[in-house]
Parts: sequence; C-alpha cells; structure tokens
Amino acid sequence: MHWATAINYFAWYVFVFISVVWIILMIENKKGFLEERKPKRLPSASVLIPAYNEEKTIGKTIRSVLGLNYPKNKLEIIVINDGSKDKTGKIAEGFAGVKVLHNKKNRGKACSLNRGLKIAKGELIVCIDADSLVEPDILKKMVGYFKDPKIGAVTPALKVWNPKNFLEKIQYAEYILNIFLRKALAFLDSIHVTPGVFSVYRKDVLEKAGGFDESNLTEDMEIALRIHEMGYKIENNLDAVSYTICPDRWKNLFKQRIRWYRGALQNTIKYRHMLFNPKYGNLGLFLLPMNFITVLAIITVFFVFVWTYVTMFTDMIWKLYLVNWDISTVFQGINLMGMVDSFVSASLIFSLVGIILGAYMLYKSFQLNKERVRSYKKTYLIYLIVIPLIYTAFWGLALLAEVLRLKRKW
Amino acid sequence: MREKRLDLGVLVSALLISGLLFGAGFLLGYTLNKERMISLEKDIRGITKDVENFQLQFLFFDVLGENSTCPLLLNTLSRINKESYKIGSKLTRYGSETEIKDYNDYIALKREYSRLLISYWLLANKLKDVCNLNASTVIYFFSDKCSRCSDQGFVLTYLKNKLKERILIFALDGEFDEPSIQVLKNYYNIKEYPALVIDGEVYLGFLPQEKIEKIVCEHTGC
Repeated sequence: MHWATAINYFAWYVFVFISVVWIILMIENKKGFLEERKPKRLPSASVLIPAYNEEKTIGKTIRSVLGLNYPKNKLEIIVINDGSKDKTGKIAEGFAGVKVLHNKKNRGKACSLNRGLKIAKGELIVCIDADSLVEPDILKKMVGYFKDPKIGAVTPALKVWNPKNFLEKIQYAEYILNIFLRKALAFLDSIHVTPGVFSVYRKDVLEKAGGFDESNLTEDMEIALRIHEMGYKIENNLDAVSYTICPDRWKNLFKQRIRWYRGALQNTIKYRHMLFNPKYGNLGLFLLPMNFITVLAIITVFFVFVWTYVTMFTDMIWKLYLVNWDISTVFQGINLMGMVDSFVSASLIFSLVGIILGAYMLYKSFQLNKERVRSYKKTYLIYLIVIPLIYTAFWGLALLAEVLRLKRKW
Repeated sequence: MREKRLDLGVLVSALLISGLLFGAGFLLGYTLNKERMISLEKDIRGITKDVENFQLQFLFFDVLGENSTCPLLLNTLSRINKESYKIGSKLTRYGSETEIKDYNDYIALKREYSRLLISYWLLANKLKDVCNLNASTVIYFFSDKCSRCSDQGFVLTYLKNKLKERILIFALDGEFDEPSIQVLKNYYNIKEYPALVIDGEVYLGFLPQEKIEKIVCEHTGC
C-alpha cells in the first residue's frame, strides 16, 4: 500500500474511533445527560464582566446578569472596563448595583479578570464576556455541583444568540453539537475549556491557581487545564443555557478561530507533560492526544482531498494542451461508468462510515437540546460538508502561524 | 493530587469496535473489488468468443470467397473493436487503484486480455491484406513507471474518438510478464516507453497528436 493511502486510512480510523467513543459514552450515560443537581444552599457569587470596546452589547449583558433569578445579597457584579475607547465604561457606570473598574490602558482579558478576582467577595467566580446573554435560571442550575468539593468549575450549554445569516446558522449548528460533546467530555472528566460565557469557578481554586494566565491566547483553556492539573474536576450542565453573539462576518470568524486554534496549540505544548500520561486519566490518555492527532488527521484528509482535485485540474489543462485545446475532450473525459466505479471503491466506504457517525451525533445533539431538528436540517447538512473544510483551513493556518511564531495577539 | 478519572474499558472497547467497523469496511471493499473482477471476466469471455468467431469466419474464406466473407469479418472486427476498448479502459482504471493492482485475479485478467489483443492485432492485419480494411493499426507499448505514458494514452484515446474506425489501437503493458508481449517487444526492438508501432513502423518516445494523425491520414487517406 502506498504510504499516502496508509496515512489517509489512519486519519479515517481516528475519526471512526473518536465517534465510537462518543457513542459508547452516550449509551452508557443515557440518563446522565439531563441529570440535575439541586443546591442545598445558595453560595455567594461574583460575576466578572471584562469588556473592551463593547458599547453595542454590554448593556444587554449587564441587564441579563441583573435579571438572574438569584438572591441579590448573594450576587456581586463587577465590570472591568479594559481601556475601552468607546462608551463601554459610561454605559456600565449607568447601572445601579454594578461595580466598575477601569484599566487605564488595554491590558487584555486575563489581566482584567485577575483585577476583578482581587476585589471579588463571592465564594464562586463567574466569568462572562460582554457580548453574552444568559437565561435567568442559569446560576441556580449550576451551583448545585459545588456540593462536591472535588469540583473546581462548572460550564453551561452555549448557544448562538438569534442566528440570522448563513454564517451564524452554521455556527449555531456547530455550537449545538459542541453542547453535546462538552457533556460527553464531562462524563470522561475531560472538559478542557471553560468558555468565557458564564463559566463558574470556585474562588479558592482560582486563587490557588494564581489567577488567569495573562500571556495566553486562550486563557479559558489554560485555566481549565490548570484546574485539572491541580486535581479538580470540571462539570457541565446541559440545561443551564447561555448565549453568545457570534461573528456574523467571515473575516471576524476567521480571526476568532485563528486565535482559538493557536491558543489550543500553545496550551497543548505548555501542558505536554499531560499527553499520554495516565496520571491525568482520560484527559491525558485520550482527549489531549486525540485533539492533537485529530487536527493532524483532519489536515491530512483535507490536503489529500485538495491535492487530488488540484492535480486532477492541472492534469486536465495539460491534456487539453496536448490535443490543441479541443474542448470536446473534456466531455469525453467524463466517464460515467468510471465515476460510478470509483464511487464504490474501498476508501469511500471508510469515509461514509465516518460521515454517517458524524451525522448521527449531530442529530442526537439536536434531539438532546430539544431543538427543532427539521427546521435546521439544511443547515446541519451544510455544516457537515462545508464547515469541516473551512475549519480545517483555519487549523492549517493556525498551525502555520504557530510554526512561524507570529506575534501572539488577539 | 487527586486521582483523575480513567475509563480504560471505554477506550479499549472503542478501539476494538472501530477496528471491527474498519475491518468490515475493508471486507466490503474487497468483496466489491472481487465483484468488479467477476464482471470484467465476463466481458473478457464475451470478447474471447468474438475473437474465436473471427478465426472461424476466416475459414469461410476459401469456400465462400472474399465478396461474401469480408462484410461478415469487418462487422465482427468493429464489434470486437468497441468491446476491447471498453475492457481496456476498465483495466487501466482498476490498475490505477492501489487496492486492486496486486490482486491475482486482476493479473490473470490482464494476461488474458493482452493475449486477446495480440490475436486481434494479427487478425486485423490479415484483414487489411485480404479485405482492404482501411485502418491504421497502432500498437502502444506503455509501462507503469513511464512519466509520459499517461499523456500518450490520453492522446491515443482522443484520436480513437476522432478518427473512429480508421485507427485500431492495441495497448500493451511492456513490463508485464507475458511471453507474447515480450516476443513483439523484441521483434520491434522496443527499449523505452512510450513506444508506438504504427502499421509496422516503430516510433520511440512520446508522439504528439498532430504527428500521429498525419501518419494515419497518409496511410488511410483522409
């Protein structure tokens, strides 16, 4: 067998393996998905809202946090205005019962969070970006998990707020799938990101960790890995829902993803001692290495795909030249039987196994989220085909950027 | 340091299940390839009969004379011509797929087909003599490793589509371990690929489309 074929098969094997792990987890934990943990008492909580030039959305975010169904005397809201050049600070000052800290210069999200952490009085710390919204019951649904002293953080289910255009709808489907995957990760004790969209932390754990890493591209992944390293667990509640306003333009989505993926690479390298280390359980033996291998696998499959089509195309041009640009050959070249024949070749069957498993998972995740599967059918079919290609390109670029050691900024 | 959760059971069983799924995929692929070989074999059986028929029809010559035998022979020739082209392109397509190339069945079929092509070539030459068949015969020697063979093959396919009955192409894998091919190769002294033998004349190396067309036109009169 040709080595490229072998690598391609290996990549597909990785996809099938990961899908099977998810499906086993789903069957094993059928009831666990919607399990609730009711709190015996409500601990005090400080909500940190770091904001940089968010005048359009910060008002909505603060209003939705103020609307939380939680005793007011146990809730503290701190906005950290990170040197915004717009009206962000002024808007925040306008709300009663909200503390506002101002950074003189723009110093980054992690730095802002650390500043808020220093003055926060709550037993729990909640981080929420200034472009996010929450459902009123979200905090009540999450604090119950902290009865277990081993739990260091809890993440909610993340959805896209009011998706309108094609790009937002694609991301909507992606987030729905991720809700399901994050819960499955919780069963494995391997949640490796606590997104800044209403993740709740134990304050003493954050303090013991020394706060957020200010030199990191994705501080929400870094802190999650550190919490695991300290031996704490991270939980997830599917039923606690927060919303994020996602990029509605390709350029912004591109920027966001490049930052995420470069951050993920950076942190995988930083925490490489966890890779294949049984001391870190599923996280070390399965999730972190698989994350890495999957990226390589996706890039491989992508490049094999692109390579095949690019060579096919250049070959076609060259052959047209050989017959003096007689265009009629192009149509002769389309051999219907040949296409049917190659369609049933063995490699395609592997791809099909992978795609069917992926589609099943997507369907299941929609079902679990009680989403109207039918109305989003088109979107998630497109998602299944288009997004892997686009995101692979993002990953490839992120890898390239990391290799070239471009200046890390976001 | 608290213990982190490790579900070795889940991971190992997932490894096994995905292995099984993959094995099933391989098996299915193998079965499908086998099936394709069987259908190819059927095609070759069909054309073998035509070639045998051809040989039988030649025997009519002495008894019936060329006037009544030639139309019959030319008719059979054109049928074989179409069929053999189809089989040939199927074989080359399968040959380009790494999974099939090493199958014993594939090699056996390729051998049978090569022999058939050679007898077809011999008969076509005879027909040119006795029935005034107005066509050029082109033996095309190729090899897997040769870089310009795919170009030459493409040009020949193009010409076949353009010149139709006036060109008969016999594509033989020069590196294939088949004595009858080696005999032809030695006879025409083929040392490199691609190589063409157009109506008995040898051309080594890639031959552009215009040149082949010109030669064929000279021989058959366009």
